Amino acid sequence: MSEPVIVIKSHNTKKTEYFDIDKLQKSLIATCRSLKTPDGQAEDIAKSVAAGVAKWAESKQEITTDDIRRVGAKLLTKYHPEAAYLYKQQLTVI
Amino acid sequence: MTPVIVSSFAIITFAAIIHASFQLSVSVLTMLSGHSLGRKTAHRKVLRLMGSFINGSIVATALLLASLSYLLILKINFSTSSEQLVAAIASGLMIGLGIATWAFYYRRGGGTSLWLPRNFARYLNTRTKQTKNSAEAFGLGLTGVFAELLFIIGPMIAAALAIVTLPTVWWQLSGLIIYIIVSALPLLVVFTLVGGGHSVAKIQKWREKHKRFIQFIAGGSLIILAAYLFVDRLLGISVYGVF
Repeated sequence: MSEPVIVIKSHNTKKTEYFDIDKLQKSLIATCRSLKTPDGQAEDIAKSVAAGVAKWAESKQEITTDDIRRVGAKLLTKYHPEAAYLYKQQLTVI
Repeated sequence: MTPVIVSSFAIITFAAIIHASFQLSVSVLTMLSGHSLGRKTAHRKVLRLMGSFINGSIVATALLLASLSYLLILKINFSTSSEQLVAAIASGLMIGLGIATWAFYYRRGGGTSLWLPRNFARYLNTRTKQTKNSAEAFGLGLTGVFAELLFIIGPMIAAALAIVTLPTVWWQLSGLIIYIIVSALPLLVVFTLVGGGHSVAKIQKWREKHKRFIQFIAGGSLIILAAYLFVDRLLGISVYGVF
């Protein structure tokens, strides 16, 4: 079994956690829902995108939350461009 | 209407427009609506949260402006030289703020990241995400105004100075109400758009696309208001005396 991928949450505090595909999926579902995407469609999109991110992260030992957002947004663009935009923007609205 | 009433209302309205062009509360409100919709919150409840946020913002603005006006009444006490002194300080402050707005109101890069320290921005982000009831949204609205105080203090002092030089309490109250309504207009627009079913992404895209224009207008307007206040309340009083 492969080692769990470590996610660096903040460069300042060096706070880390293990990559959690469910957490990512929930975040993607919430983004799609905020654009009034039907639940089923939001879940399908989130599942596909989260799987893509997990596959990308597989070969890495450490990734950052920014990496997840960047790769997630890129994959999400194929399914829902507006949601991808919002997902990418979430940390740069304020 | 006497010239001083016209000039005071012009200052109040212009100052409120400048206040309205600062974007922190709009950013937080946009995020609040996005997060609430993402949690599958009922549309009516989303609007209630947004309404509470706007009320918080309005109350904070009213309290700040009323307090500043009260302080100026105590300070000025109908003395022309004190009024000139406050006008000079407000003008200088607004020129500085205008340049600061042009220089660093928005951060470089994508999105609409503001000048706020990143830790505080992250804190606001987290608080916005966790806001689930009206009282929290109201508190967030209050916080938004106080967090933006560094930039809105200039136009607020100018408006307070204009308010205290109005002749009667009723005129002063009208000035206060006009400032509050005009400064809350962007929040009311976002509320109406989200209420009408517009996508949060579209609102954010519009904000991102026009952020440099808004920054330029806000900075430029601060400098214009500073110049007007200087001419109207400093040179005007020196040349023509008190109205």
